[in-house]
Amino acid sequence: MKVLQRLRSPLGLSIFIFIVIAAFVIWKGREAPELAGFSVEQVATALFIGLAIGALYALYATGIVVVYTTTGIFNFSQAAVAAFCAFLYWQLRVDWHWAALPALGVVILIVAPLIGLILDRLIMRKLEDAPFVIQLLVTVGVMYFILIGIGQIWPQKTPRKLPAFYGTKSFDIGPVNLTYHRAIVLLVAIVVAVALRLLFRSRRGVSMRAVVDNRSLAALTGAKPDRVSSAAWAIGSMLAATAGILIAPELELDPANLNSVLVFAFAAAVLGQLRSLPLALAGALFLGVSRQFLITFLKFGGDWTFARDGVAPVVLLLAVLALPQSRLQVGRVTRNLKPIERTTRVWEAALGGVVLIVLFLALSGGWLNFGIWDPGAWNEIGLNRARVALATAFIGMSLVPLTGWAGQLNFAPMAFAGWGAYLHLRFALAGEGETVSVFWLLFVGLLSAPLGALVALVASRLSGLYLALASIAFLELMASLFFPHPAAGFRGVHKFKPFDVVGIDLATRRQFMMLLVVLLVIAIIVLTALRRSRYGRRWVAMHNSEAAAATVGIGVASTKVIVYAVSAAMAGIGGALYGTANGSVDATRTFILDTSIPIVLLMAIGGMAYPIAALFTTFQVLFQALEARLEDAGAPSWLLGIVTFFRLFGPGLGAIGMVVNQRGAAFETGRQNARYLPWRQDAKAEYAATKAKGREPEIGELGLCRPFAAADVVALDRKLGVADDLAPGRHRQGRVEGAGVVVAGS
Amino acid sequence: MTVKFGGLLAVQSATLSVGAGAITGLIGPNGAGKTTLFNVITGLQPPTNGDVTFDGRSVTGLGVHKRARLGIARTFQKLEAFNSLSARDNVLVAAEMATKARRGGRSVQAVTDEALEQVGLSDLADITVGTMPTATARLVELARALATGPKILLLDEASSGLNDEETGAIGELLARLVRESGVSVLLVEHDMNFVMGLCSQLYVLDLGQIIASGTPREMQQNAKVQAAYLGTAKDAA
Repeated sequence: MKVLQRLRSPLGLSIFIFIVIAAFVIWKGREAPELAGFSVEQVATALFIGLAIGALYALYATGIVVVYTTTGIFNFSQAAVAAFCAFLYWQLRVDWHWAALPALGVVILIVAPLIGLILDRLIMRKLEDAPFVIQLLVTVGVMYFILIGIGQIWPQKTPRKLPAFYGTKSFDIGPVNLTYHRAIVLLVAIVVAVALRLLFRSRRGVSMRAVVDNRSLAALTGAKPDRVSSAAWAIGSMLAATAGILIAPELELDPANLNSVLVFAFAAAVLGQLRSLPLALAGALFLGVSRQFLITFLKFGGDWTFARDGVAPVVLLLAVLALPQSRLQVGRVTRNLKPIERTTRVWEAALGGVVLIVLFLALSGGWLNFGIWDPGAWNEIGLNRARVALATAFIGMSLVPLTGWAGQLNFAPMAFAGWGAYLHLRFALAGEGETVSVFWLLFVGLLSAPLGALVALVASRLSGLYLALASIAFLELMASLFFPHPAAGFRGVHKFKPFDVVGIDLATRRQFMMLLVVLLVIAIIVLTALRRSRYGRRWVAMHNSEAAAATVGIGVASTKVIVYAVSAAMAGIGGALYGTANGSVDATRTFILDTSIPIVLLMAIGGMAYPIAALFTTFQVLFQALEARLEDAGAPSWLLGIVTFFRLFGPGLGAIGMVVNQRGAAFETGRQNARYLPWRQDAKAEYAATKAKGREPEIGELGLCRPFAAADVVALDRKLGVADDLAPGRHRQGRVEGAGVVVAGS
Repeated sequence: MTVKFGGLLAVQSATLSVGAGAITGLIGPNGAGKTTLFNVITGLQPPTNGDVTFDGRSVTGLGVHKRARLGIARTFQKLEAFNSLSARDNVLVAAEMATKARRGGRSVQAVTDEALEQVGLSDLADITVGTMPTATARLVELARALATGPKILLLDEASSGLNDEETGAIGELLARLVRESGVSVLLVEHDMNFVMGLCSQLYVLDLGQIIASGTPREMQQNAKVQAAYLGTAKDAA
């Protein structure tokens, strides 16, 4: 019993997982003959290479920690900025044949700080009071924007290579042969560590740390918050540039590849508890060395050659679970609340669903003609795209109950989708026949739910940023250890059988597309009903305040298990649909972070709390179709260019736009247009009221222009953040000893 | 019990008991540890040594939600309402968690309506709580606690932000609840008139220790209490 209780504690859980992994590694490694014959030289060489690679991770992690401790914003775009700077350096150094020093100077000392300042001034400073989810997603949007930008400026058709400093020249230290490049990396990491340590000990460093605790309070004591946050972002960007230029020769010069360092950086930053630079450095070195040792010594008999990719997610997960979590800004009240938050009625969802089905029928059949422009019937390519888009929307919709209502930020919808696709392949396709019954999807959902429940159990103590990081670790674990494993049989390209409905084949692409639309509509109706049920209320209540939810009798842990299970079931079904819509799928390229993140971003842009927002995930496909149509119609190139620009940069720009509109497009659209629906007299009245209110003076003019009313007190409370200061976790750190409280009821 | 935050002693050796079907008051200057005590009783603060007994059984090892289901309900000093839900849904969530026995055999809707009626919020039931004034949101919390069908109600400054009339109404409501359904109430208050008129038993907490207990009248005459609590109250005024 006691052992079980220990196991349930985060530290116990982590130690348990670590022991399992260690036992597995030793057991597998025992078979590897390479392990027997290692020498001092091998160990020392692996150690130095590992240290050099760890030093690179450290540069990334350091940048993230510096920005986080001074501005409270966890920067997902760190590796993207690094990648951009690496490409820019390549442009100057290789393509334009500049000398190394001026090229380095321009990139690290001019361009990088400039990027930092722009990010700070234009975007991040406006996020000071935003809920943490928005802060996080905006930086993810920046990351996405930059990565797409790199792809546009430096198309990946021609492979590029950034040479190492001093080429392949190397020197010997004792038994170890070290390239100059790696020696430079180690040196730079040491210099940066020492410099930052001195900086943070100085007066400016102290004021930097004061700023993150309370910006306006720090300002009163003479610190200059604006300058401090600018400085932090500039330093962060310079670190990113340095890291990017140094790591590029070790990897291929490819934006996605350069961005994949992010997981290592996160793991190192979390090992430093997001605050401590020395600990983050130590963590990064540990990661680098352990990864290198795995590569050098454990060949795992062929089955597990890719196990090294699991190092970062495993460490990230363990660190998130085991380490005491530093102060996080959570529990901020949702802004932009309406006096009456109306939840959609089920019949309204059904009506909308019918409209959607008719619309898709009409559009794909070419029944519509807009007079000046006839969109025409969809061809095979268009139908294909629509199918994939609708399946993606299904996966995206799995975030609505989990993130939109229960507030559990999840970057891993594609992990659950991959699991669903896998189940579908393994079991449904084992059967006879050319087609699979569509009702099989129910089983896929049923079997996907336990994976969600499992994640919920592991993640039940996490919230906010740590939960988001854990979801990334989970996705990376699935993508690096499970999907590619030969034993799973999910490697390579797999063909999916088409569906049939009660024995009737869905022979044409259009029929299958309509099936997807119908399934999507069913999901929307079910979710709408769920939101209006006791479960939906309970999830939102838990999101608003876990402490209060518990004190009315809601079991927070079991509630999380249920909502994760529901979400995983939806995503699992979505994954099976996604595979079938594509016809065939390569799991190791499909169910990964790179595909998961745009879905999360587009859902957030659409409005995470609204099922209909899932249609936003079809955005890129719609634009693709539009582009193709315009091209056929011979549209001018500038118009095509604009459409292409928005298709590519839309998700990133939209996510950055959440600085202004935090509740998403579905919410805003509803607020603006609900009054046109004949049965929504309430929306008409509300619109009139807002219009009238718009003419009233601002809070700052109170007492001068009009009397101070009760509603103003609320508004003022909100503005001052008095009512918002609800951090349930804050009281829990104490220890209780001694005598007793006796509470006798009736 | 003793509660420490880091090196700071919050509550030390405090022992109190709440009689069934009575209103008990817990008073003390700011930072005395009243809210901490509430957190321990409801389970938000994990006790390692102290013991919380409820209805004749120890609930020390139980989680927050399990204690709630046994009949311990509370409100919060720093608001913890479900901000993005309407007042009705706030109460409904709680009523839905109560068993049929706890609801007295009535329907969830009936319990919800009654709780809203009791705190006088029937007219505002559809308003989103996050847009309400703090004092009104406090009433929502009270209705939410009532809807769980509690055996004991812990109220953390229920009257703060309310005017005299509203405070009086709350007092009457509590007195009626105790009289009619035998609920026990433990309240933390700053409004001395409110406490003196309502409570049958008072505990005075200062610097984490119970320095006195007895009837309100006894407490008013207690020199220790005057020094620790009423004295500072006068200074503050």
